[in-house]
This record gives sequence, structure tokens and C-alpha cells, in this order.
Amino acid sequence: MGFIEKQTDPTTPMHWKGNMQADYFYPAGIAGDKFFQHLKQNDTFLATKCSECNKVLFPPRLYCEDCFIEISNDNWIEVPASGTIRVFTVAKLNAHGEKMKEPKVIALIDVENTDGSTLGVIKTQNLEANLQGAKVKAIFKPKDKREGTMKDILHFELI
Amino acid sequence: MKEVAVIGAGMTLFRRHLKETGKELSYLATKMALEEAGIEKKDIDMVVMGTAPDAFDGTHMKGEYLLDGAAGVGLPYCRVFNGGGTGVFAPIAGWWHVASGVADVCLVVAEEKMGNCYPHPQTAFQHIWDPILDRPLTPNLVWLFAMEMNRYMTVHGIKEEDIAEVAVKNKRNAVGHPCAQLADPNITVEDVMNSEMMAWPVKRLDISPPSDGAAALIFCSKDVVHKYTDERIFVKGVGWNIDSTMWTNRDLYFPDYVANAAKMAYKKAGITNPPKELSFAEPYDPFDYKECHHMEGLLLCEKGEAPTLAREGVTQRDGDLPICPSGGLLGVGNPIAATMGQKMCEVYWQLAGKAGKRQVPNDPQMGLGQAWGDIMQMATVMILGRGS
Amino acid sequence: MSDKKYEGMPPYAPGTHVRESDIQNKKIAYAWWEPEVQYSWSLGHAMSKFLTGLKAGKIFGIHCKRCDRILVPPRMFCEHCFGPTEEWVELPDTGIIETFSISYLDPDARRIEDPILVGVVDLDGAPPHHGFMHYFGEMSKDEIKIGMKVKAVWKPENERTGSITDIKYFKPAGGAD
Repeated sequence: MGFIEKQTDPTTPMHWKGNMQADYFYPAGIAGDKFFQHLKQNDTFLATKCSECNKVLFPPRLYCEDCFIEISNDNWIEVPASGTIRVFTVAKLNAHGEKMKEPKVIALIDVENTDGSTLGVIKTQNLEANLQGAKVKAIFKPKDKREGTMKDILHFELI
Repeated sequence: MKEVAVIGAGMTLFRRHLKETGKELSYLATKMALEEAGIEKKDIDMVVMGTAPDAFDGTHMKGEYLLDGAAGVGLPYCRVFNGGGTGVFAPIAGWWHVASGVADVCLVVAEEKMGNCYPHPQTAFQHIWDPILDRPLTPNLVWLFAMEMNRYMTVHGIKEEDIAEVAVKNKRNAVGHPCAQLADPNITVEDVMNSEMMAWPVKRLDISPPSDGAAALIFCSKDVVHKYTDERIFVKGVGWNIDSTMWTNRDLYFPDYVANAAKMAYKKAGITNPPKELSFAEPYDPFDYKECHHMEGLLLCEKGEAPTLAREGVTQRDGDLPICPSGGLLGVGNPIAATMGQKMCEVYWQLAGKAGKRQVPNDPQMGLGQAWGDIMQMATVMILGRGS
Repeated sequence: MSDKKYEGMPPYAPGTHVRESDIQNKKIAYAWWEPEVQYSWSLGHAMSKFLTGLKAGKIFGIHCKRCDRILVPPRMFCEHCFGPTEEWVELPDTGIIETFSISYLDPDARRIEDPILVGVVDLDGAPPHHGFMHYFGEMSKDEIKIGMKVKAVWKPENERTGSITDIKYFKPAGGAD
């Protein structure tokens, strides 16, 4: 059985255009709220330690997903807002695939004293440098401008 | 096929907005179920996550996103969803895992964060309509339910007041539920009839609210149930069925797909006289008329008879056929998939005699849970019973 | 064994209630996102012809031979017998009201004083309960009822674009059912 009709008239409508209209509000959660309220007032990060596997989880969470036990308030620790670049890339296109005016260096940073990592933008003039293993620290917005989101970190700088 | 037992359940608070992330809610519900069953993550063989459209939580691939909190790390895991039907479909999928013999213990988690879609999940609901035929008319989802309610009432000559009895019953029943969002011990039919008219004949108190919440349920094979509990509560029947998306090409007064799913479940359970052989039922009640519509679809009464039974008190907790003893969606809340908490988790707790203030009297032996989803399409049914 | 552990399940309700005012006053940490997602949905042959028909002021259905029923809105296959549909049929632009609602909410869920009348039209020439959703006009909320005969009111030809909205609404066709 083949097709019943052939489409031969190029002026017949073929598509219907539209969009999906919705805005989103993502609460940071119990653990996330604690992390971001701390970030508003301090230049350090919070992490959580699992009492069973002893992993220091970053970003901090309410429970360890491997051991599946809850992490108590006593097991929250403060760590410096710095780390080591595990891997990086130089991005030339933005999220829409358009060329950016200035390329951005994006890195996955192993956060110091934790078993976790975070993405960060690295502020640097030298785009050719091999930044693997480089030590970086977070540069924050002034405290009165912080809102309790990841944007409170302006970027990371090489130490 | 293996026989499948239920050994634990859990659920979170249901509210319009909860502070917890979806992962944290999944964790809290799972934790309660694990505690009841007396097991840990290492005892779980497989996990099923039921969660309705990504468009509510606002995270694409949210099944994969939530699994950390659903004890899914490093385990065989899958996500199922069919809109509102998910609350009973996820348990059915959990049942598949154990009945087939591939898992001895299967955890089922259901989660929803409708509050993330801001300011109202209505905007996500708009995308359920056909983009070419329906959306250009800029419909509001309440219109769809109003049209079905109108058809149902007109065909049978039913009064709004009789349907309002269901909202009163469920919101009062929910007073015994710690998670309930809209419990009200004093609500009356007059309150419902006087509430704000949204789209005739649907009024504000006829509708369940959008909610955040999560629930969890643990199934295990009959072969190993003795390791965990002395309870013997088994899955007796499962059924699921769906109708076409062309909802304007059907007479909406009776849900054939609910009857098909119910017959499938009754056949497996060996039930020939459902209203007599079931001790109680938890049909899906996102609207009060839906409880009636579904009771008839589940063949628990004659077509058009359900509102009369509500008016006469037959469906009260101490009536001949208790319906929605949990308080249902109208009383406890409607976090789409997580309504598994008032449906299958409730059926389990009732049969185990653990429903506290909501307990149906006279030692219930067999209970049915049903969910309903998409554009008046999907029906999912599960029957649990005591003893093998 | 965990049987007697709890008197009533659930024993407590874990979760933290957050009010709208907590969100507005930024009492809790959150992220905000406004996604931009654009779509160009394929119409398919059936919808394409249906919309072309609407632009010309006509309603087309399609015939399923096996079921011997006319499908409107039309589709290339019948979802009941799963066979291909073949013959195009022009239907009259009249029908009866299958069901309706009187809405005091506009599409953005805002309250309105003057209700919108909307529902499903069972089209003449198609089997019972076959039609599509549309608005009703030139009738009051007290007049509208299931079974009322209705007729389409079209936009003028130069305003039609090939959309379901080429029909403005259905009005009473005269003569109660």
C-alpha cells in the first residue's frame, strides 16, 4: 500500500507555527536554600558530608544519593570558594548558536576540600593557555548586590 | 507470572508550593516507604518513576533528573507517564517488574512540582490542546471539563447539587489526612454551589487544586514477602486502556476506556460483581463530577446513578460502598502523578488497617484505585486484596 | 517486621509549605527561567486540505470505507479500524450543539463579566458525536442548550487565512431542536 495522495501544489499549507509559552520558578530546595542564603552573606561555599561513605558532596544535598541516607545539620561544612580546573573549553558560539563578540572560557572546577565540582566561567586574557590543573578562585558580586543564585559568582580567576 | 505483594508506602505534604526540590520530595516519600517496609536502598532491585509532563517541573527529561531522590542511582530505572493516569500507571509498571520475575523488590515513586510553572500551571496545560484545531481558539482547560460535565449532567438529567455532595464528602474525608491541602470539616453543599463560577457548570469548589508533592510504593514478589512483613496484601488485578485523542468525535457522557480498563482488572481478579466484592474504591476525582463519571465507568453502579448514591450517603466512609475514603484529590490535593498517594498508597493502608482516622470499618478485604489522564483518554486501574 | 510500627499512615507529612508571599518577597532562594521554544508543526495532508477548505469557506470531512463513517476533523487514517481514509466529502456548515460551557474565565484564566460560550458542534452529514470545538454566538447563556441547531458564521473571504478561526462562531440556525 503506497501513499493515497501526492502533494503536488507547492502553495498548499505545510506547517503551523507556534510557541510554548511558560515561565519557570525553581525553588532551590531545603539544601539549596541553605547553600544560597550562606552565599549571599559569605565568600565561601557550603558542602555536605555523608556519614556513611564519607564523601563530601558538592553541591550540598539533603541526602546522599548513593547511600540513600539523610545528611544531618551537623554534617554541613564550610569550604573555600576555590578549586582546580579539571577540564575546560573555549566557547565561541552562544546558546542560540550565534557567534559571540568575545569567546568565553568555561571550565569544570573541582571544588577544594570536596568530592564535587561546579561549572564556571574563567576570566582570563590568554585564550590559548592550557588551563588543565590550574587553581582558580571565585570572584563574587558585592554582598549588597547578591540575590542568592549562581549569578552571585561573577566568574572565576586564576590564582 | 509471580504474585506481587505491597510492603510499604509513603507520601509528602501536598501544597500549592513546597520549598523542597522535586528530588528532595521524591527522597522524603521514598524514605517513608522504606521505613514502613523495613528495607534500605540496597534491598531494592529496580525503580519506576511516574511523573507527568516535564512542563510542570520545568526540567526536560525530569524522570532522569529526579532519580537521585528516588533511590535510582546505579539501578535499573525507568520513567513512565500518561498524564493524570500516571498515579496508577506507575504502580502497574512496578507490578510488571515483579510479576515478570525480573525483580523481587521494585520501588515506585511518583512526583510532581506543578508550582514551578509560574504563575500558574494553566500555561503548561495549554500545550495539551491540538496546536492547529484547538489552540487558535485560545481555550482554557476548565472549558474541557465543563463540556464533559455538562454532557454528563444533561444526558442523565443530574442536578449540580447532587454532584456537589461529592466535593463535600471528599473535603470532609480529608480531615483525617496529615498531607491534605484542602481538608474542611465544615464545608456544605451550599458552600460549593455558591463558590465562584469558573466555566458553567464548573465552580471553584468543584475542582481540585494544582499541588506539589510526591508518593512512593514498594512491591515485592510473594516468594520473598515473608522476609519483610506478616501482612499479605497482593495485587489482584490490573487494567489500563486509552481512547483516541479525537475527543470531539465521542460522546463524553460515559468513559468507555474506564470500563475497558476496569473489565481487564476485574477479569484478572475474578470479580464478577464489583460493588459487592469490593470493600471500597478510590476513583480519580480531580472534579466532583469525575468521581461520579468514573464510578459508573468502573461499573460500580448504573449509568447516571452515582450522584444519587452520593446524595444518599452510600459512598460515605461508613456507607455500603465507601468511595475516596482518603479525601481524594478534592480534599488532599492534585499533584498529578503523586496522587498515587491517595489512590494506591491509600488502598494499601486501608487494607493493612493502617489508615488511622480515615480507616474504612468492617475489615476491608479488597480495594480498587483508578487514575485518569490526558484529554479524557487514559484509564488505569489496580485492585489490591488481602490474602493470596 | 514493620507491621505495628505506625498507628496511622502516613504518620507525618514531610514537606515545607511556601506561600505566594514568600516567593514574591524572595524569602526562599530560587532560580528563574523564561524559555523560548518555537515550533513549526507539520500539518500533514489531511489538516492541510482541511485548512485550505476553511479558507475557501468550506468544511471538509473524509470517508473511512471500512467503518463507513465520515471523519471530521479529517485524518489520513481511521484510528478505529486503522485503515487509510480515501474520499474527501464537503460537509454543510451546520450542525447541532453536542455540549457547551459558559465560561467566566478568559483564556488567561482572568475573570470576565460577559461569559464566553464555547463547546462542540456535531456536524450535519457526519455521524453522531463527530465534530469539532468552536465558539457560539448570537445567543445568550440562557438560550444555549445541547441539541440546538447551529450554523457557522464565517469571516469575510479576504480575512480568512486557512485556520479554524476562519469560522468566527456558530449561531442559532433557527428552529429549536
